[in-house]
Amino acid sequence: METPETPDQELVARTQAGDARAFDELVTRFSPRLYGLIYNMTSNHEDTNDLLQEVFSKAYRSIKGFQGKSSIYTWLHSIAVNMAINFLKKRNRRMTMSLDDVDNGIANDPDFIEATTARDPRHQANLGELQKKLNEAMMKLSDEHRAVVTMFDIQGMPHAEIAKVLKTSEGTVRSRLFYAHRQLQNYLQEFITT
Amino acid sequence: MTPEEQVSKLLRLKRYEMPPPGYFEDFLQEFQARQRAELIRRPLWEITWDRLVSLAPNFQVPRMVYATIVAMAVAASSLIVFRPSAPVPGGAIASNPPAPLNLTSPQSVTIGESAPVAMTSTGSPSVHYVLPTRPVSYASSRSF
Repeated sequence: METPETPDQELVARTQAGDARAFDELVTRFSPRLYGLIYNMTSNHEDTNDLLQEVFSKAYRSIKGFQGKSSIYTWLHSIAVNMAINFLKKRNRRMTMSLDDVDNGIANDPDFIEATTARDPRHQANLGELQKKLNEAMMKLSDEHRAVVTMFDIQGMPHAEIAKVLKTSEGTVRSRLFYAHRQLQNYLQEFITT
Repeated sequence: MTPEEQVSKLLRLKRYEMPPPGYFEDFLQEFQARQRAELIRRPLWEITWDRLVSLAPNFQVPRMVYATIVAMAVAASSLIVFRPSAPVPGGAIASNPPAPLNLTSPQSVTIGESAPVAMTSTGSPSVHYVLPTRPVSYASSRSF
């Protein structure tokens, strides 16, 4: 029988009381999602790894100040987004991508099949090409727009949650998404049927 | 399907971009090693502060305490720098109009046969007395 998962709040409280193992559990629980967030903002595996380490280090140092006004998930996302944006501002727009770590499940994804085996031969593309195009398109967005697209389209977060993470209004989130999608439509035209 | 929906569907494919298998297990170990290394590198004042805080777990630095300390320091330093010049002794007395001279003897205090011989300009009763008023001897003193 599977043991029920310890609630996040309990792990936070234990960490605040000095239990480092509780924080390890938070790291295990949230690192895949935070990895996805940072990776899709930086498009580089090594940078993502370094940033993710720094995110959790910073979170551990400042967790005593976490008052639980938002969920730990939102709080960690805020740290990760801010650190990623600051990092990208310093990084001189190098387009280094590591695209060889794709889960095999994508081959069976109907959206992937539709995108790569389209009726129009011009739409035909292999996995590598599609990913390359997607990443290039993402990197053409501003850091703020990329953050919103990553959280909404890739991570499936609702507008309200994104607004909390970015400490902005839902309207701003929707507006950024609108403009980001418009830009992406232009970059990904060959994969879009009209 | 609208172009925007198609873009969203394409973007969802990026969920499959994952790090190599076993990455997250290694990540935790790397994080723990890094934490230990950071602990060693921490400055002494940080370690001391953390120990002090852990002695009083409910103690939290009030939010405005740093601002208050800075404000007090600025106020104190400005007082030192822009301190007004020290008042001249007696300056306050000089600025006041002089008290009218009263030639009548103030309240006299007699101790035995003594009598007041001096008083301050303000007429305060701090006076000197000569005790007694009658000389002890009219003979010249021979002691030097």
